[in-house]
Amino acid sequence: MTNDERDGLIEAAATAWRPRSTGGAVRGHPAWHDLDESGREESFERARVQRSLEAALDPDGLSTTARAVLARITRR
Amino acid sequence: MDLDQHLAAIVAGDPVAFGRWVAGAEPRLRDSLRPLASRVDCEAVLQESLLRVWQVAPRFVSDGKVDGLLRLAIRIARNLALDELRRQRTDPATTAALAAALDEVSSTVAMPDPLLRKLIAECREQLGGPPARALDARLSSAGAEPDETLAARLQMRLNTFLQNVSRARRLLADCLKRHGLDVERP
Repeated sequence: MTNDERDGLIEAAATAWRPRSTGGAVRGHPAWHDLDESGREESFERARVQRSLEAALDPDGLSTTARAVLARITRR
Repeated sequence: MDLDQHLAAIVAGDPVAFGRWVAGAEPRLRDSLRPLASRVDCEAVLQESLLRVWQVAPRFVSDGKVDGLLRLAIRIARNLALDELRRQRTDPATTAALAAALDEVSSTVAMPDPLLRKLIAECREQLGGPPARALDARLSSAGAEPDETLAARLQMRLNTFLQNVSRARRLLADCLKRHGLDVERP
């Protein structure tokens, strides 16, 4: 795996989007499963920074994680 | 600030109040999972935990101490993460060590102050071109769509889209650092 490919996986896993099981449970991101341990930790850090920036930019202080969860509960 | 100030409205089924609670709880809940970052997908555990908190909140009984619902959320996240480790057939001794590490994590609720929000918004406005478009796509999608869909909408290859998201965050972080704020420090 090249550095660019690895970086792409880290960035992909840092999104708030997650697949769902047929029962609706939140599942791991496919890119996360393809990362080694240090890549997963790096992705965690990127997500942490990204969510704090998103929350600060959002008028209601909500990150994309929060928005994804709220979309689920209001859709039910 | 005690996040349980939103509790009565959450118990009554108010999703707006739950959103306000999530805004305060998410950073601490995420940090609580840090010891498992290399073992479980913490974003997935975090989202599933928040969904379960919403489901059980109507039956939640406060113990009178601050942040009761957040402490429940941390327990739910911890148990979901440990269930995932067991599902992966992780060595029991390793699981026990990680469980102990989870119990040691402590952090405080940090709310972004208005000046910080203003600074981040100013740095965001300085972004332009493809990085700004990629970041905006992630923000407006709010976790509802995979990156493949967002990239296609922007007529970018997936790798290019991901590089632009990285670049946007780096540029934002650099801008904030020039103003004395290091968001990349845990």
